[in-house]
Amino acid sequence: MGVTILHQFPVENRTGPAVIELLTKRIAALGAVQHGQFLVDCETYSSVPQLGHQRTVHVLHNSEQPATVFSLLETGTKTIPLATDGLFDLLMMKMSSFYTSKKQTKAESKGPRFEIGDFCVKLGTVTVSSNFKGILVEVEYRPCIVPQMCWELMKEFLQGFLGSSVLSNPPVYFQNKMNDVYTPIDTIHQYLEHFTIFRKSPAGIRT
Amino acid sequence: MSFSSVNISVEAPIENQIQEITYDGTEIYQPPLSLSESLAKYAQKIDFSKTADTDIKKEPDLSEDAKSDSDSKDAFQSSLWPWDSVRNKLRDAFQEVCVLADVLAVAKEKRYMVLDPVQQETQETKPMVQIYARKIALTGAAKVLVTGAERLKSSQTELARNRTTPGFHIELLRLRQNWRLKKVSNTIIGDLSYRTAGSKYLQSGTFEVTKAEDDDKTNSPPSSPLPGSNPTPKTNSALRVQIPSELQGVAYIEVMCQKDQEDLCSINVNLLGSGPTASNTDMHWQQKLEAAQNVLFCKELFNQLAKEAVQLQAPIPHMVVGNQIMATVLPGIQLIIGLCHSANGEKKQEKPAPSKSDHDHVLEHSLHQLLREVHHKNTHHPFPHPATGPLGPSKKRMLAGPMAADRHELLEMTRTDTLLEQIVKQAQHFIMRMRTEYVLDTIAKEVKDPLICSHWNTLNSPTQSCVKINISTHGYDAVCRTPLVIHVGEKSLKCICRDGKVMNMSYEPQELRDLIFCHINQHQILAVQALARTMGWQALGNSNHLGTGPVELLGNASSCLLVSPTGDRIIAVKCEPNQTGIQAGIQVSVAHSPRTDFFPSRLVTERKWEHLGGQFRDVRLDKMEGRNFLHKMELLMASLTSNL
Repeated sequence: MGVTILHQFPVENRTGPAVIELLTKRIAALGAVQHGQFLVDCETYSSVPQLGHQRTVHVLHNSEQPATVFSLLETGTKTIPLATDGLFDLLMMKMSSFYTSKKQTKAESKGPRFEIGDFCVKLGTVTVSSNFKGILVEVEYRPCIVPQMCWELMKEFLQGFLGSSVLSNPPVYFQNKMNDVYTPIDTIHQYLEHFTIFRKSPAGIRT
Repeated sequence: MSFSSVNISVEAPIENQIQEITYDGTEIYQPPLSLSESLAKYAQKIDFSKTADTDIKKEPDLSEDAKSDSDSKDAFQSSLWPWDSVRNKLRDAFQEVCVLADVLAVAKEKRYMVLDPVQQETQETKPMVQIYARKIALTGAAKVLVTGAERLKSSQTELARNRTTPGFHIELLRLRQNWRLKKVSNTIIGDLSYRTAGSKYLQSGTFEVTKAEDDDKTNSPPSSPLPGSNPTPKTNSALRVQIPSELQGVAYIEVMCQKDQEDLCSINVNLLGSGPTASNTDMHWQQKLEAAQNVLFCKELFNQLAKEAVQLQAPIPHMVVGNQIMATVLPGIQLIIGLCHSANGEKKQEKPAPSKSDHDHVLEHSLHQLLREVHHKNTHHPFPHPATGPLGPSKKRMLAGPMAADRHELLEMTRTDTLLEQIVKQAQHFIMRMRTEYVLDTIAKEVKDPLICSHWNTLNSPTQSCVKINISTHGYDAVCRTPLVIHVGEKSLKCICRDGKVMNMSYEPQELRDLIFCHINQHQILAVQALARTMGWQALGNSNHLGTGPVELLGNASSCLLVSPTGDRIIAVKCEPNQTGIQAGIQVSVAHSPRTDFFPSRLVTERKWEHLGGQFRDVRLDKMEGRNFLHKMELLMASLTSNL
């Protein structure tokens, strides 16, 4: 488990598969080898009005941690992350009378997964309730767990195959935690941020 | 008795029976029986059969049968009318009386029937016969008494003997404390398999418990007076265990490491097979059962290993031939695991040549340990953490979810080494350790000048151990010492050098040997420099990897230049890693920068040019005084410093 950076790649009037193919070509040219597929999905539940103050639970699964169910509880003032095992899904089903899921907001990002040296690259096609929304590129640098120590390297690598769309500053999410130890829940946070933005945007027209 | 008897008359109470008590306390009595009712009630109580029995005893059976038939017929109707049974009885009685009257009438006529008095037959009694009969009866009675007395006596003596040798039941009790027994019809069956301890081996380990025969007991020493002093407890156990033939005898797992038919290890210890494999009957049941259990265990172990050997996909396939498994541990070295089972009776000829059976006790022990671990795991499941959670996954697996373990970690968790893989790893480590030991010892023996001490860690795991090596020069330990740490793994060595560099080596011992020689070489150069500093000399420079000179067999030569405090003398040391003798690999040269004697020549006309540095002259170290290289260098530096 290393530092992971999630980058949204602009689509610019191309179809999703075309972009994925383009990126696959680029990364394969660098010598990456495909190692299966990956999937990150997110489902959002909101509390029923009888419970009082509205709260939202985002339940996310990441194929990189197949035994884990991540959930983020938004109370309005703060966000409580939780990593649990698979039984949590069953628990959410039991609580369906308190937390109802909005079916049309189910977001997921899936696509091929590549390994290139110490890096692991995932090219994800984002769909929200099976509507194409955009491309998310996840890059993980596995030997390091502190973002500060590897940001420059990762930036160089990202710019190497994603071009100028990568900004020279670290993502907003990292701003206050550049020196913290990176954990899997940070990846989930990044995914949720992007998913939330994708949900609000109209289909495929996000730059 | 008769005078004490008192007539007691029992009569019905005058009051009538209470039928009901109402809530206000008034009692409702049953109306008294009418005369006919009470008569019927009493008539019911008359037992006619009693009187009929005594009178009609001698009547033929036929009439009785007929009567019972009619009785049963009447019995069906008796419920209709309460007087029915009374009527039947009376009718029967009347019939009998009629018959009697007829008989009497016929007898009275004396025409057809005469009643004669019957002569009472007198028993003639012969006194002699009576005496004989009594005699026989008395002897019979006496015999009964005598056998009873004998039985009592024998039980008494048995009780007395039981104080020294426990009887069958006490032994059975002892047996039950340690072994599983159950009673099946008339026999006692025991089970010595490890199934309750988690074994899944199919072969059963049942044995039968019987009582020892009496004739066996008779030849046992009759209750020795000193209970403690019976060193040969031969068959004085009242209990006999019958073990199935395939579990009899002694078995053990033989583990050997062989190097192309040539043994690596050289321990030759006679095993348990030689000792108490005497006759089966001589052994105490406890030993017998333990031996049988051991046989079963060894069989299970071998069975498991053989199964794994066939299933495993090794680069060099494992071989299972008869009672032997052969696995290649390292190139040229085989691990041979054999099941030795000597059925008792025939003393087995297991040792073809004593040097061949070099058995590795440590590996045998760890094999046993591994199987026991498997048994333990089969019975001891980790508790599910939420009580409703699934049963089975390990604690590590249960934590994997909340700890967000990634795919790689989860895959690692599912992988478990088989017994054979584990034992092969242990054997690999064992050989690696032995090789490392051998290399270090031989180098320590060969190389005298820098001393090489190795310290083995006493605590190690079956597949990993660690040795710390100190290279130092005798008398100069405080000046310089080169520490090295070598981690001995399963198939590789990891050496952590003095400067923190990590060197990974393969299983070839030559690599380690070369590494140690390189370090000896480095040590000499570093030690000379450290010594020079303490002497006030200055190190001008050093190089661990000298590019000049002839190509070395191993690595590069290293060198250093030292200058005296006044700066007029230079010592150059060159150290070649030479395996034959470290002393021979060191060259020392000395230069005087203004030479003491100056003869002007055509090229160097003036003395001042001599300051630029002069020619180096070799020092013949082997002719010098001194215990070792550093001592010689110290003397050299001292002499060069002093004669100004």
